[in-house]
Amino acid sequence: MSLLANRFEPNVLTHSLDWLVNWARKSSPWPMTFGLACCAIEMMATGASRFDLDRLGAGVFRPSPRQSDVMIVAGTVTEKMAPRIKTLYEQMPDPKWVIAMGACAISGGPFYYDGYHVVKGVDLVIPVDVYVPGCPPTPEALIYGVLTLQAQIMKTTLAKRPEG
Amino acid sequence: MRAYLTTLVWGLKSICVSLWVTLRYLFTPAITVQYPEEKRVQPLRTLNRHVLTVDTLTGTLKCTACNLCAVVCPTRCIELTGHGNGKERRADTFFIDHNLCMYCNLCVEVCPFDAITMWTRIDELSAYTRSGLVYDQPTMTATTFYPSPMTPERPAGVPERVGGARS
Repeated sequence: MSLLANRFEPNVLTHSLDWLVNWARKSSPWPMTFGLACCAIEMMATGASRFDLDRLGAGVFRPSPRQSDVMIVAGTVTEKMAPRIKTLYEQMPDPKWVIAMGACAISGGPFYYDGYHVVKGVDLVIPVDVYVPGCPPTPEALIYGVLTLQAQIMKTTLAKRPEG
Repeated sequence: MRAYLTTLVWGLKSICVSLWVTLRYLFTPAITVQYPEEKRVQPLRTLNRHVLTVDTLTGTLKCTACNLCAVVCPTRCIELTGHGNGKERRADTFFIDHNLCMYCNLCVEVCPFDAITMWTRIDELSAYTRSGLVYDQPTMTATTFYPSPMTPERPAGVPERVGGARS
């Protein structure tokens, strides 16, 4: 990464390499086995045979953050869980992406105004790439979120990378 | 020796019997929904993104900006303004924040004019930003007939497509 970043103008070589690397990355976004609340039930249903997240290459739920690419934050992020989520996110190797699944993970949802114990959105803790609304989202909605994430992965480039 | 062979045969048989439980699924059709290409038909009462229904006679929104849905909403995700008094009152702006919405259907049940429905089967809602999930009035205005608790089926004489801002 650092060998290529910000050293070239965009040309045909970097574009071809970008396409290849992005294609490889988007075809295997392995999520982390990580569920916080009832949205995790829908995430399990998405990974099971009826909807089969493996068709998108995203069905290999890894038990360790060191092996995973995508963190699907499925459920209510409580104040107690937030430091753990940050630790897990920092343990994931680059490149890494985050899908905030469900109203609680996006913004606190039903606990936004009255909850004393819920983080008002997981994007206050870790950077989020795709927001999937729903309470909980249907398996189709989560698959659509993964498709949205894949479309975003295809837009990234190796040659241009923001500093830091 | 004979006891050993008997055990071997029984072991092989038990393996085949237990594997048959798995193997017989080779001969049944797959239940996987090939989602992006093939969409599951959701039940009628599935709660999805809101749609503001349109009066088929006048082509305008049925909403009278009475604020009942905004008051009853447990997550306070509906925000609207209106103008006019009495029966002429109409909504100017209507925002539903789907970052907060918990899909409880209370706004639909409380609406006295059947102006909002969640039986829409619109569930492809992902966004890259949180502001992309706040839907405004032109986005939510119905362009086709949507079923609602008062009209679960399309009444005779009502066209399938009605006036709306977006196709």
